[in-house]
Order: sequence, then structure tokens, then C-alpha cells
Amino acid sequence: MSSIAIAVRLKAPDPAAATALSTMKRISPEETPDLLQRYDYWEFTGIECTENTVREIVEHFDDIVNPNKQSWSFTPSGGLPADDGDHTSAGVLVTDREDSISENWTAILKRRGFPVEKVMHSVLWIFGFSREISCTRLRSIVAGQAVTSRRDAGLLANPVSQTVRLILEEQAGDLLNR
Amino acid sequence: MSTPLVAVIQFPGSNCEYETKAVIDASGMQGRIFRWNQWRELNDASPDAFILPGGFSFQDRVRAGAVGAKERIMDFVVERAGDGLPVLGICNGAQILVESGLVPGWTSGSVQAGLASNHIEGRSGYLSRWTFLKVSDHAQLVSPWLSYLSGKVVPVPIAHAEGRFVFFPGDAGRIADCSALVYCDENGEESPDYPINPNGSTENLAGIMNPAGNVLAMMPHPERAFWLWQVPIRTPGEWGDRRISANHSTAISISRGPGELFFRGLAESLAVTASEET
Repeated sequence: MSSIAIAVRLKAPDPAAATALSTMKRISPEETPDLLQRYDYWEFTGIECTENTVREIVEHFDDIVNPNKQSWSFTPSGGLPADDGDHTSAGVLVTDREDSISENWTAILKRRGFPVEKVMHSVLWIFGFSREISCTRLRSIVAGQAVTSRRDAGLLANPVSQTVRLILEEQAGDLLNR
Repeated sequence: MSTPLVAVIQFPGSNCEYETKAVIDASGMQGRIFRWNQWRELNDASPDAFILPGGFSFQDRVRAGAVGAKERIMDFVVERAGDGLPVLGICNGAQILVESGLVPGWTSGSVQAGLASNHIEGRSGYLSRWTFLKVSDHAQLVSPWLSYLSGKVVPVPIAHAEGRFVFFPGDAGRIADCSALVYCDENGEESPDYPINPNGSTENLAGIMNPAGNVLAMMPHPERAFWLWQVPIRTPGEWGDRRISANHSTAISISRGPGELFFRGLAESLAVTASEET
């Protein structure tokens, strides 16, 4: 079974990312990245699912990627935080524990004959830090902002209804450059 | 005795604040809308109760209610809720209360519940329809909003995409403690199946409260059922019968609907509090 993931972002500045960043600055100014980007993250899983399969899906369904306003790219998994020259980056992947979007797309793609067993939709947040920052400090900031444990702590995911995966790897930096 | 002041907090993207203020006024209280950045004015006004109305605060960016919960004006609401003042969150207001940690409020300040996207066999996504509610036994005794709903089944509409109350698995044993309102049919019978439970909410929950009972977060919109003419004419049960009876009467324009019971309870509660203080 292979999984192919893509990251989709707005071509224009993302208002949700702007709001999230300004909220982080207000609640914890010392724990805020210099840059925050938001992606829709789609993972397609299937025995015969290939990059060509996913390209075909993306071209066919503009609900997944609207080419007029969004750009997309394949994204690998695994790796460590990367310094892209301007930013040290890390990612947070937020997924609903029970998600109708993923279930509905799984049903649609199967019905349309695509070789996909499962679709998983998440939101990927990429944190960018232009200053010198240790890996420990980076992990601490990202983890702190990722999970809403209290009203004044954390933002990106509700731990009761969502899961969080930290991505501290080179691919986060790659995404930031696109 | 002065007229109780009920603050309606308007966030960017709220869209039910004016009808909420209108039903507060119609209930004999004074409703006043405070914008999210008027926290000084809110502090000076010292309201007797608070309502967070429905809508899409901050366009539901990041997650419904997540950004609104962290606004400075909520510092004051949280503080006054701690003093025992009544707080009601309706729909998006409920999402803000959950993200604030005010409900279920088992551990002060901690976020211990979620309002997840609707997810039930036969239906997903945004849903706008009338539902039936009944109040939990414990809640009618402690919540200022629910005292007039004792033993009643009331039709109240919902309109949301994220209204499914969820909890950590380890908290299953204490969900009943925070249960305030549950979805049911017109006879008061509960079911975990759609459409009686419209969104897959845990234990059929339509509303939850804090341990003291003064903070209530509910997904249905009582302000949209305040007048009898707002109730659909084909609604089964007592309220539908009332609606049909009043249909050709001039009195229908002023007859109260089931949603009025929530606000009548608050008005009586605030009047009792005021008389005790004097």
C-alpha cells in the first residue's frame, strides 16, 4: 500500500494563517514564529496509487485544487527541520479524529474508479523562524502553539477532537520556499 | 429595581447579535451589544449576564470559536463567569465557550471538550433544521437559563457544521454531570440516530454547562424560536398544535414560542438576584 501526499495552498496570502499568526502574537509574543503558512494536506493511499493517479485526481476535481486560486505540490514525509537560507522551519499536521471530508472523498474516488483505498485530509501549518533557534526551542514553540490546552495556551488544534503530528524535517523548509 | 443588563458580545463575523438583543429586550431585560474590542466599555457597564451569539466569529479561521476564545474581551467574561454570572453561548458562541474552557469546566481553564464537525450515518456537513430538545434533570435545577424547561420538549432550530460535542475517552464517566440539553423526538424519546440526533453528538448532547450551572453552551438557536410564528406549522407535538391554533389569529404576531422559555428563566433569575441584593 503506498501513500501519496500533496500540499495545497492559496496563491494569495492566506487570511487564516494571518489571523492565526496575529493571535499567537497576542497570546504568547515570545513563542511566535516569524512566518506561518497554511496548507490543505491530502494523503491518498492505495495499492496502485501513484503520483500519476494523484495528478489525474487533482486535474479532475477542482474542489481539491482550484487552479485559479491554489497551487499544489507533492510532499514527502520524514526528515528534520531545515534551514532554507532565510528560515528554519517546522510543520504541524492537524487532522480531525472523525472526518466526513476524508470519508466522502474516499467514497467519491472509489465510485469514480480511482485506485485509492483511503483519502485523508488534514491542515498543515508551517512555522518559519528567521532567527537563530535551537531544535529544542523550536520543538517547544511549535508544540506549544499546536495544541490548545487552555484558553491562553495553544491554538492550532483542539486535542479532544483533533490529532496533531509535528513535522520537524527538511520538507517543511522546502514547502516554505514554494 | 433597575432593568437587568445583558451584554451581547459581537465578534467579527457574528451574525445573530441583533435578534438576540431583540429577544432580551422583549423578555423585560435590557440587551446591549458590545463589540469584541469594547472590553473597557463592557467592564464599565458591569452587565448582569452575557450572551455570545451565533455566527462565524473570525470567519471560523483556524477552527470554529478558537480565535474568539482568545480575545481580550473574553478575559472579562471568564472572570465574571467565575463570579457566578450567567453566560450563554449559542452555536458559534457555544464553540467559543468550549474553546475557552468555560464548559465543561471540570478543571478550571482547561479545554476538555470539542465541537467537532457533524458526523453521523446518513448525514454530514452543514445542517440547518428544526430539532427537539429536553432539559437534563440536574440542569433544570441549577441553570438560570433552563428553569422554565422542566419536563418540556421544545422545538428549536439548529444551523451548524461543527456541533458534535466530543470528550476525551477518560471523561466518559462524568459527561452526565455537564449534560444540560439533549436532542430527542417530539415525545421526548432520545435516539443516537439521525435525524433525532442531527450531528452524532456524544450522548445526544445539544448543550453542556459548567459544574455551577451558570455557563451554558448550546448549539440550537433559542432566539430563532422566540416567537410562535417562527415555529414551522407542521411541527409535531404541542408547539405545532399551538402554532396551527394561532395561525389565523392576530395574536400570533405577539405569541411567544418555545425559545422564549430560555430568556424567561434568565429574567426571573436576575430579578430574584436583584431582590435578594436589595
